[in-house]
Amino acid sequence: MAKAKEHAKDDGFGDNIKMDALAPKLTQLGGIVGALALVASLAVGFTGGNKSQFMHSYLTAYAWVLSIGLGALWWVTLQHLVNAKWSTVIRRVGELLASTMPLLGLLSLPIVIPTLMGDTTLYLWADSHKMHGDHLLHKKAAYLNTGFFVVRLVIYFGFWSALSLFMFKKSVEQDKTGAPEIRSKLQAVSAPSMLLLALTLTFAAIDFVMTLEPKWYSTIFGVYYFAGAVVSFNSFLALTLMWLQKNGRLARSVTAEHFHDIGKMMFAFTAFWAYIAFSQFMLIWYANIPEETEWYHIRAHGPWGTVSFVMVAVNFVIPFFGLMSRQVKRNKKALAFWAIWILVVHWLDMFWLVKPHMHTESLPFSILDVTCTVAMLGLFIAAAAFNSQKVNLVPVKDPRLDKSLAFENF
Amino acid sequence: MSDEHKEERRSDAPVSAGGLHGILAEYETPSALVAACKKVRDAGYQKWDTYTPFPIHGIERAMGIRMTSLPWIVLVAALTGLATAIALQWWTNALDYKFISSGKPMWSIPANVPVYFELTVLFSAFAALGGMLLLNNLPHPSHPLDHKQQFAKVTDDRFFLYIERADERWDAAETHEMLAATHPVTLEDVYEDESTPAQVPGKIVLTLAVVAVVALVPFGVFAKMRTSRNTEPRIHAMGDMDWQNKFQAQQPNKLFPDNMAMRAPEPGTVAADEHVDDDHLTTGKVDGQFVRTFPSSFKIDEAAMARGKQRFEVFCAPCHGMSGNGDGMVAQRASALAEGTWVPPTNLGLEYLGKMPVGQLYDAIANGVRNMPPYASQMSVEDRWAVVLYLRALQKSKAAPASELTDAERAALK
Repeated sequence: MAKAKEHAKDDGFGDNIKMDALAPKLTQLGGIVGALALVASLAVGFTGGNKSQFMHSYLTAYAWVLSIGLGALWWVTLQHLVNAKWSTVIRRVGELLASTMPLLGLLSLPIVIPTLMGDTTLYLWADSHKMHGDHLLHKKAAYLNTGFFVVRLVIYFGFWSALSLFMFKKSVEQDKTGAPEIRSKLQAVSAPSMLLLALTLTFAAIDFVMTLEPKWYSTIFGVYYFAGAVVSFNSFLALTLMWLQKNGRLARSVTAEHFHDIGKMMFAFTAFWAYIAFSQFMLIWYANIPEETEWYHIRAHGPWGTVSFVMVAVNFVIPFFGLMSRQVKRNKKALAFWAIWILVVHWLDMFWLVKPHMHTESLPFSILDVTCTVAMLGLFIAAAAFNSQKVNLVPVKDPRLDKSLAFENF
Repeated sequence: MSDEHKEERRSDAPVSAGGLHGILAEYETPSALVAACKKVRDAGYQKWDTYTPFPIHGIERAMGIRMTSLPWIVLVAALTGLATAIALQWWTNALDYKFISSGKPMWSIPANVPVYFELTVLFSAFAALGGMLLLNNLPHPSHPLDHKQQFAKVTDDRFFLYIERADERWDAAETHEMLAATHPVTLEDVYEDESTPAQVPGKIVLTLAVVAVVALVPFGVFAKMRTSRNTEPRIHAMGDMDWQNKFQAQQPNKLFPDNMAMRAPEPGTVAADEHVDDDHLTTGKVDGQFVRTFPSSFKIDEAAMARGKQRFEVFCAPCHGMSGNGDGMVAQRASALAEGTWVPPTNLGLEYLGKMPVGQLYDAIANGVRNMPPYASQMSVEDRWAVVLYLRALQKSKAAPASELTDAERAALK
C-alpha cells in the first residue's frame, strides 16, 4: 500500500476515507429530491382516481429499493459469517447501505396504512368479509389479515433495523477502540441472524408481493426475491464505490480486484436468479394446476407475454454473457454499464411481479412509476449519506484490513 | 520425458554423461524469487518455471505468464454440451420415439431445460478438468527435479527457479551467469533422470489392457441382445421377481386337506362391505317394482340436500350441467367437436323425469342407463339417495309457480 503524504486527510491511512462535505450535500440532495417526488406522488396518487396506479407504482418502487437494502444487510451479515477478508475495505459502504432499514420501514407506510383501513386496492385480504366469503381464502384468513400483517411487519423491520444498526455501530466502535473481539462477536451474531434473515426476507416477499394474488402461492417465491436482491445490491455497491472514487474517496484502497469480485457476485447471482425463476416456472408449467397456472397465464399472454419474453433475455441471457469475461469485471466502465443494466432490469422484474395485478391486458406504466422510484431512491441514498457523516468509509482497525487491501485474484 | 526428446537434445549439444537437463536456483524469500523471475522473463526464456511452498501474488506477471485459454475451452465445451442436449432431447422425444408425456407437446422446451442445464455443466466440468491437465502438461509421472535432494524443501520454506536446457536461449555459461547475478542461495546443474524407467511399467500396461477389455463386455452384450431373436426374457437379473414363491389361482396346495390353493371364507365371517338386507335401500326396488318413496333409513334433511348438491356437482354436472339442463362442459365440448357418436345427456328437468319413481332414478345412478356409466363404484348408497333428493329439488325448481316463492326471492328474480 503506497502511502500518499500529499493527502492532508489520510489519518495515516494513505487514502481519503471520510465523506466530509460530501455527506451533508448528498443527504440534502437525496432528501430534497426524494421528499419532493414523494409528496408529488402522494398528491397525484390520492386525487382524481389515480389511487390504484399510485399504489401499484409505489409498491413496485418500494419492492425494488427494499431489495437493495435487504441485499446489503444480507451481504454484510455474510461477510461476518464467513469471516471474509477480501471485502473488509468495502464492507463499511455495505453497512451504510444496510443502515437504511429504519427508513425503509417508514416508507412502507403508504402501503400499510390504506391496507389497515381495509383498502383492497392492493390486497384483497384487507377485507375480512371477502376472505370469509371465499371457499379457498377463508382457510388463509388466519394468516392473511390486517392485524397479523402489522405484527409481522413490526417483527421484520424491528429485526432488520436492529441487526443493521448493531453491525454498523459495532463496526464503527472498532474504528475507535480497535478491539479485535468485536470481529468474533459480530461473527457469532451473524450465524443466527442469517437464519432469521432468510425467514423474514421470505415472509416479507410473500406478504408484500405474493399476496397481491391471495389464492396463488409459490414456495420458492422468497428465494426468487432474494436472488434479485443480491444481484441488485452488488450492482448498487459497485456503482456507489465508483461514485465515491470519482469524488476522490477510496481511490487507492478499492482496486480492480474488489470490483472483479463484486462483478463475480453479479454474474453468479444473475445465473442464480435465472435458475430460481425457471425452477418456479417449470414446476407450475409442468403440473398445470389451474390455481397455480393462473399467475403465469396472465404473464404469458398479451403485452405481459412480451414482457416475460424480454425478461428472459434482459435479466439472464444478455447480462450472463455480458458479465462472463474477466476483463469486463475488471473494467470500471464496462462494470458500471452492467450494474446500471441489472438495476434497470431488476426494476422491470418488480414491475412484472406487481403490475399484472392492476391490469392483465395492458402495461400500466405511468409517470408515477418514475416519481415513486425517484422518491424512494433519493430517500434511500439520503439515509445512507446521513449515516456516513461522522464515520470512516473503511473499517480502519478491522484485523482483516491488510489482507483486504493486498487482495488479488488469481 | 520421451526418448526422442533425449536424443534430440543430446544430438544438438553433446555434454557429459547423464545429460544436463537444466539449472536450479534456490532462494530464501518470495521477493528474491520474484525479482529473479523478472530478469529471466526479460531475458526472453520460455522453458522455465518456479516452485514455491504457497501461491505468491503477482508472480504470474513477474514470470510473464499469459492469461490461460482454459475459459475459452470451457465455453466451447459448454456450448457443445448445450447443443448436444438440444439434439438429444429433440431426437429422442420428437423424432425417434414420439411419446406424449403429461399432455405436453412432443417437443417442449421448458421440460427439457434441466437436461440442457445438466449437460452444459457436465461438459464444462469435464473440459475444465481435462483442459487444465492438458494445458499443464499433466499427468507428469517423472521429472529430473524429483531426484534433487534440496528440491524437497520446496514443500517447506524454499523458493526455486528452474530453467531447462531445452530452452532456445540456453547457453550454459550465460544462463549460469544471469542466475548467479540474482543472488540465489544455491545454484546447481540438474541432470537427466536415469533412475526412472523411460517405459511405463509392464504391470500398469497390463492392468489398463485388462480394464479396457472388461469395459468392452457390456457393449458386446448390448450388440448381441440387439440382434437376438430369442423370445425368452434376456437376463433374469432379479430371480425373486421372475420366479416368486407364491400360489396362484387354481393351483394345488398340499397344505390344505382339499389340496386347493384358493380358500373359501370361513363360515360365519362377515366381509367389510357387508350386505344390507334392505332391497328398498340398496336397489331402489321392492318386489321388482321401482319404489316411489325414499327408504326409511335415509334421513331427509338439509345436510342430505347439501351433500346431494355437492355430489351432483362433482359427478353429474360435468355432463348434465350445474342446473341439470344437459349442458355441462363435457356435453358442450362433445357437441363442439361434432364427432357423431355422442349421445347428448338428458335434460333432467324434463317432465317425465319428474314423474319417474325415485327408485328408478336411484337405479340409473347406481347401474347407469344407455350411455351413462354406472356410479355405484364411486358413490356410496347414501350419496346416491342424496343425489336423487337434490335432483327432485332441482326438478321442482324448474316448474315452481311464482306463488310458492317468498317476496324476497321474487324481488331477486326481477
